Amino acid sequence: MINREFAAKHASLTHNMVDFGGRLRAQGLLVTPSEVMDSLKALSLVDLTDRREFYLSLRTVMTSKPDDLPLFDQVFYSFWPTVWEEAAWDEGSDQMQLPSSDQASQDEDGTAGSSEGRMEVQALGEGDEGEGDEEVAGYSATERLEGKDFSLFEADELEEMIRVTLKLARKMATRLSRRMKAARHSSVVDRRRTMRLNLKYGGDVLELAHKRRKIKKTKLVLLCDVSGSMDVYSRFLLQFIYALQSNFVKTESFVFSTQLSRVTEYFRENDIFDALDKISKDVLDWSGGTRIGASLRTFNADWAASVLDQKTVVIILSDGWDTGDVDVLEAEMAELRRRAGRVIWLNPLMANPGYQPLCRGMRTALPYVQVFAPAHNLASLMDLESALSA
Amino acid sequence: MQAAVQNILDQMERHGYVTDPEIATAVYLAMELRKPLLIEGQAGVGKTEIAKVLATMLGVDLIRLQCYEGLDVNTALYEWNYPKQMLRIKMEEHDTRGVAEKENEIFSQEFLLKRPLLDAITRQDTSPVLLIDEVDRADEEFEAFLLEVLSDFQVSIPEIGTVKASHVPYVVLTSNRTRELSDALRRRCLYFWIDYPPFDKEVRVVKAKVPGINDVLAGQIGLFMQGIRSVRLIKTPGVAETLDWSLALVSLHRDHLDRDSVTETLACIFKDNRDVQKVNGKRLDVLLDAMHPNGSSPASLIPHVKEQLAALEQ
Repeated sequence: MINREFAAKHASLTHNMVDFGGRLRAQGLLVTPSEVMDSLKALSLVDLTDRREFYLSLRTVMTSKPDDLPLFDQVFYSFWPTVWEEAAWDEGSDQMQLPSSDQASQDEDGTAGSSEGRMEVQALGEGDEGEGDEEVAGYSATERLEGKDFSLFEADELEEMIRVTLKLARKMATRLSRRMKAARHSSVVDRRRTMRLNLKYGGDVLELAHKRRKIKKTKLVLLCDVSGSMDVYSRFLLQFIYALQSNFVKTESFVFSTQLSRVTEYFRENDIFDALDKISKDVLDWSGGTRIGASLRTFNADWAASVLDQKTVVIILSDGWDTGDVDVLEAEMAELRRRAGRVIWLNPLMANPGYQPLCRGMRTALPYVQVFAPAHNLASLMDLESALSA
Repeated sequence: MQAAVQNILDQMERHGYVTDPEIATAVYLAMELRKPLLIEGQAGVGKTEIAKVLATMLGVDLIRLQCYEGLDVNTALYEWNYPKQMLRIKMEEHDTRGVAEKENEIFSQEFLLKRPLLDAITRQDTSPVLLIDEVDRADEEFEAFLLEVLSDFQVSIPEIGTVKASHVPYVVLTSNRTRELSDALRRRCLYFWIDYPPFDKEVRVVKAKVPGINDVLAGQIGLFMQGIRSVRLIKTPGVAETLDWSLALVSLHRDHLDRDSVTETLACIFKDNRDVQKVNGKRLDVLLDAMHPNGSSPASLIPHVKEQLAALEQ
């Protein structure tokens, strides 16, 4: 039925495809007129009476990453419900299931939430290009929020804050990688250019042409304290980690309180809110006490070998309130210092005027830290840039 | 189903690649629309195999470009044969020809070493299959360059001029998603996501690739793998691991799974000691308990096994 309708009136299919493309675009998929044209081309190549093939062809052409797939299904389902049903009932369909009523509503909620997230990210990306009103609006918001201590935020400011955090971290990461490019130079001989250069001497090599070595990207390991004393800060710091991780290729992230958990995989989620949700669900002793020494020991024993080398920057985000054994902390800090390229400690309490790193844990750890800096507001996080590139 | 898609599906199966209509449709569209096919998925689900079987199916060469961090144009596109150029210059030292003429000579096709990308667009007889493997491991600079090649299928070599493809290759790109590819590259490609196979498909793969395996063992292996992938692991085993394991079990003349045969061969499935430790214990008990043949088919036990494993995660 659906099929006859489409096959009979070609103009109508074209029209429908344009409309369908528009809805996908509204969900954040990379669908431009060129994808719509490719879809029409693809449809002319396949069997339109086969619903499953119809669905698969459009999906192949119009999606471009895994996160697109559920969104695509959702739009497809609402746009062509009959086609979806028949395709789903097709024999041998392993992966397509007709959403049952409650699953469907659940899906809808899920999709709505994540699509919002996606559009935000996209808007940020556009702002980064440095054009338009958004940039201006974004900037003033940034200025307003930049100096405010994380612990003073009202609940309704949180979302805006999150957006600004992501944006700033992204900018910082971009600038940072550029700076590293300009700073690095080496003396590798460029054989191709050397040949050309020396042709004039008849092939004897009198002059050497040099080329730069490929830029090595900084590797980051982030260890974030999520214990009770850090509660007001860890939410922001985790967002900061999320943004750093999505901008530095090689980042490993861990959270700790009484024990250490690796959260790198969680931050691969496209949506920061989903990621935070899952972490708070899965990391058991979230906001419990702190045993920095024991957590570092786990890190050194289980993870250091695979994630640390002399080019890696380790960033510890913690207030240094430690309820564990100080000797363990000292030994593990020494070990960490030995194995990592650089150890940075960010402490949100440092902003308090007159703060002295007097608590036992902080005092013990300090000799092994190369950079000790505050991390209580956005401005302080931005300053991290210089610490990383130095 | 379109006869052509069915045909591709049959051919892929005939060449030993267990497939489904989804993959066949994607391959068919890539061939017909002549657009590159970007395949993403976890490690070991058979992304690279698609390109290989496509080449076999078409009876053309497979040209493979393995990407890595620091991959540059010299390694991917072309390089001059410097030693040979040097020798030629030395040999003709007393030649009275002008520099321009000599230069023309040593920067001719004869001294050009074709790397995969140039090779792929200069085939004279047929369109080869160009496999750009693990493109996520190359740097962004290289990705931008790749985009240029993939949109025009021509490259310019300053010393020679522009080389345009006479036969546009079939291009397959794979990515493990260690980093996000640029939107520009994604837009240029058709997209296909391969997931871990469902139970039936995985059992078919095992039977196709491991001759002599019996149905009981294949079914048990399928059930084990479906269960184990629901556990949060550092490195979730893919189909490649399933096949290694099946081969190991068959070589050890095992015809069913029991505690000994599994513990002896855990190294085939898990590539990280922390995963072995996590599984070897209660989780292994759950999986082995499900292996007792009590009349129910392995497929029907999957939900039960997953449920019990999920309870252990809490």
